[in-house]
Formats: sequence, C-alpha cells, structure tokens
Amino acid sequence: MTVIREKGYYHWDGSLVERRFPWWPITRTGILLAFRKKRFKLFFAAAYLPSLVFLAALYISERLEDFKFMLRGSERVIQITPGSFKMYMTNDGLLFLLVLVLVFAGSGLVADDLKHNSLQLYFARPLRKRDYLLGKMAVVFFFMLILTLVPGLLLFVFKLIFSGSFKFFTAYPWLPLSIIGYTALLTVFFAFYTLLLSALSKNSRYVMILIFMVYLFSDILYGILHGIFRSPYMALFSIKSNLAQAGSFLFGQKLPFGFPAFWSFAVLAALCAVSALVLRRKIRGVEVIK
Amino acid sequence: MTSEIATRNLSKWYGNVLGLSDVSLEIEAGITGLLGPNGAGKSTFMKLVTGQMKPNIGTVSVRGAAVWNNTSLFSTIGFCPEADAFYEDVTGWEFLTGLLRLYGFPDREVRERAERALDIVDLAADKDRKIKGYSRGMRQRIKFAQAIAHDPEIIILDEPLSGLDPLGKRKLIKLVKDYRAEGKTILVSSHVLPEIEAMTSRIVLVHQGKILAQGDIHYIRDLIEAHPHMISVTCADPRAVAARFVADRSILKMSFGTDGRTLVVETHNRDAFFSRLQEAVLEAGVEVDEIRSPDDNLQAVFDYLVGK
Repeated sequence: MTVIREKGYYHWDGSLVERRFPWWPITRTGILLAFRKKRFKLFFAAAYLPSLVFLAALYISERLEDFKFMLRGSERVIQITPGSFKMYMTNDGLLFLLVLVLVFAGSGLVADDLKHNSLQLYFARPLRKRDYLLGKMAVVFFFMLILTLVPGLLLFVFKLIFSGSFKFFTAYPWLPLSIIGYTALLTVFFAFYTLLLSALSKNSRYVMILIFMVYLFSDILYGILHGIFRSPYMALFSIKSNLAQAGSFLFGQKLPFGFPAFWSFAVLAALCAVSALVLRRKIRGVEVIK
Repeated sequence: MTSEIATRNLSKWYGNVLGLSDVSLEIEAGITGLLGPNGAGKSTFMKLVTGQMKPNIGTVSVRGAAVWNNTSLFSTIGFCPEADAFYEDVTGWEFLTGLLRLYGFPDREVRERAERALDIVDLAADKDRKIKGYSRGMRQRIKFAQAIAHDPEIIILDEPLSGLDPLGKRKLIKLVKDYRAEGKTILVSSHVLPEIEAMTSRIVLVHQGKILAQGDIHYIRDLIEAHPHMISVTCADPRAVAARFVADRSILKMSFGTDGRTLVVETHNRDAFFSRLQEAVLEAGVEVDEIRSPDDNLQAVFDYLVGK
C-alpha cells in the first residue's frame, strides 16, 4: 500500500547556499555579547586613550612654535619618528588595556560554550570545528584590530595631514607595513592566547583571572629570573617583553633585550602552536558518562 | 520502505568506558522511540547520528550518506539535546536567529523561520525575554523550536519530555505527532516507558550500550505485564494501609521503607491494586503524600532480556 503523506509544515522555494563565511554568525554573536557588558565598554573606550595622547603629540610636534611655552626646551622629545610609533604600539599601557579588553570580551568565548553545552548545538549544524574556532578567533581579531591597526594607520595619516606634506611617508614608506605586521602579530598571538585560556575552564570568571594573571605573572617571572641569572634571555618568559622585542624588530628599532628577535618570534609561535593543540582536543563532541 | 537512518556495527567507547557496542539498526520514517535507563547509550547514539562524534567502529548513514564530517547533511537534521544548551543572557529570539544563521539562510528567511518556530511552540509572546527568565517548560520548547526551525527531514529528540509538567508533555507530544503526519523521521529517547508509548508504538530498547529488543511496544508491554509491578506509597501510617492488603492475592510482596513512611508493594495486577488502594486509604483514614511507580518496572524487563 502506498503511504501518501502530506507535508503541511512549510515549503521554502529557495536553496540553501554554501556560506562563504560560515564562521561569521559565531563572530557576530561574540561581538554583540561583548558589547552587552558595561565594564567591557569602559575598558574598550579606555583602550583608545593612548591613541588620543599620541594624536595630541602628533599635533604638537607639527606646531612646536605654538606650544613652546609648554615644552620649555624639550622639543627633541616630541620629534615624531618610526621609533615614536613603535613606542606607542608596544607601550605597557596600551598592552595592559588590550589585555583588559580581552579579559571582558574573550574570557567567555569558549568557556561559556563549554558551560552552556552549546557545542552540541553548533556541531549538529553545518559548521565545522575550524569554522567554529575561526569564528571565535575573529572576535578577538575584530577587537584587537580596531584598537591597534585602525588607530595606528589613522595616526600615520594624521601625521601626514598635520605636517601638510608627504615627506614623512617618503622618508619612511615601510612604516605602514610595520604597523600592519606588528598589529597582525599582536592580534594572532592574543587570539590564540585568549582562546587557549578560555578553553581551559567552564567558568568565565576564572578565565578572566587567568587572562590577566598569566600576562602579569609572565612579566613578574621574568623579573625574578633576571634578578637571579642576570641573563637577557630570561625576557623570553615574559609575554610583554617578547612582544616588545618583536615590535622593535618590525619597526626597525634597537632591540630592548640583548638577544636576536628570532627567539621572541619563536616563543610566541610556540605558544600559538600549544594553544592550537589544546583547542583541537577541547573542542569536540562530549558525552557525559553517568 | 527505505531506512532514513542506518547504523552498522556501530561502537563507541570513552577510554575504557563502553558507550555503544556493535549496534546495527535501521530507522524508517515516522516516530521511533529509543528506550533505556540513564547511561544506556541513548545520547551517545544520538550524537553519533547527528555527526557530533566519530564512531570507533562501524558506520552511521543518514538518507544513504555517511554522517561523519558531512556537514552539508546536517541541514536535514534537527537535534534537541537533553541538557539545556543556551546562553542565559540572550533572548529566545536571539538564540533562535543566531542558530538559524549557521544554516546559511538569508536574513529575511532567518526572521521568518524564527517567528514560525516560535509560533509553533507557543513562545511568540515571550521571544524578547531573556532565556534565564524562562521556565523549565519554556526552555524545553525553545530547544524544540531550534530543532525544527530549519524544517529538517530528520528530528532527533533527546529526552524532550524530561522536567515538563503534564500539560507541557501533552503539548510536546502533540507537536511530535504532527511532524510524523508530515512524513518526517523522528527519533526520540526516554527512560520512561509511558512517555514513549504516548508517541509511538515502534521502539528500540537500549541497555548498557547494546540493543536488547526492537519492534512493537506491545511486545515490551507484555513482557512488563509478566513481571511484578513495583509501587511505592508514601503516607503517615503505611502499616495501616498495608494491613488492608494482607488478604489480597494479587499482592506478591510488601515491604516498608526505613523512613517509616513508605510502603513498597509488588503486584501482578496494577490496575486492581490502584482501585483497591483508594478504598484502603479511606478506611485507614491516612493522608497519602506520594504514589510512585518508579520505572514502570522497565528494569525487570531489562533484567529479563539480559538474562539476569
């Protein structure tokens, strides 16, 4: 006997498209959820303060005559060079604020999914593990790039506008590439760093502490080890020092530590590799054994 | 009729814990109930069918195509997990639309589908409330909504009725039956026989990672009837109630709980016991706090089938 079944629910005439960016809905949600946190908004806004200070310095450097009464003979300090851009992009204050932004925007990226068992809903849909991870990373990419790359390039443009000539650009045509290179390094490293720590716990508050403390503790560890061994290589234990060393290299400046910049790149790459391995193990279908 | 879901020698283990062992099964369109106690392997089976886990041995295919790593196939499957799986700080609307976007629908289609799914589960009025404010029943319904919103051909429901009140259960059962009428394939799991019985007569009995029996529910019912029913009555004076049953031949065994308030009865004739219980309680003049039939004696059937 033939069974005739009527499909009464709904028929959609369109066809499902293979999304070009299947990770985008994950990123979109991550960004929206971050902006719902009041404290995040505060630190996000604060992370632009170094840019505003540098912007003021750029203006003053082009109007030295007008600000002579303020500078009182320290005009040389405010000369803008690639070193100034390096100083702005690798300064402790900016890095500290970026870490605080990640504390609020990144701590729950994986931890909340683990806590709320959301992975099973994601992976029962046309979403691969790599799309999921890319979507989560793109949240960090987004925040890091709009807090570093965008202001960095804009400040370069402002330098040209304030000076009213392309002299700075013709003197240092590689500087925009340095800005792009350094912010890319910063962004990729912090994406792996944040996701690694976020995947280690289901409790996003605990991850918040981890993101902050690992960054801080690595620097304290460097201080202690340097005090004992008096070796510049101890800076390899510090996230901040490695970023400063790599940044100086990318901006063509004198290296702050007495060892080749290659070692700092290697340490940062190794941390990213460890993070990738951990994420590969942690992000998968889970069954609770009762 | 061709099978919509087919597994062959399917096995999955976690370290040295066995999740599923050598399961070969064919599931056709309509409702199929997966029945078994907690830890039997029902959720493992469902996660393998939905492609979330890779089997250690064997294959799973849905509509003739292997499931593992076949993400394009996932658009035809809707999965409702047993545990809650949402961010508490998002609204029902955001939860649904966020998940619908993963299928690649255009934005307008996402909105229309979300609205339709919310209508079906009677949550349209509460769509802008945060999920943390939802009741247990509403949470179950929004989970069901996300499983059906993309109009899948195969719907996998892991313990969908757990925690629902009787009215909520009835509504959800009706929804599931409506989908059967539309020719969908629905696989629903539960450890409570009457819940499955309310939805389908076609069941698969799972125990300790193995398929114990498969087929019509009446066969299982007959097996259950052949085994004594265990009924637990909690009241202030259980001995006064028990005294009224001493001469009753349908009672096989009576025992008392250590709390001094529970009477546990084993009987062959459950219906007769319940009708007699009403009189006994009135005669004894006691107030009954609770009457339970722990697992409808499903464990006895499992024990029988595994030859204990």
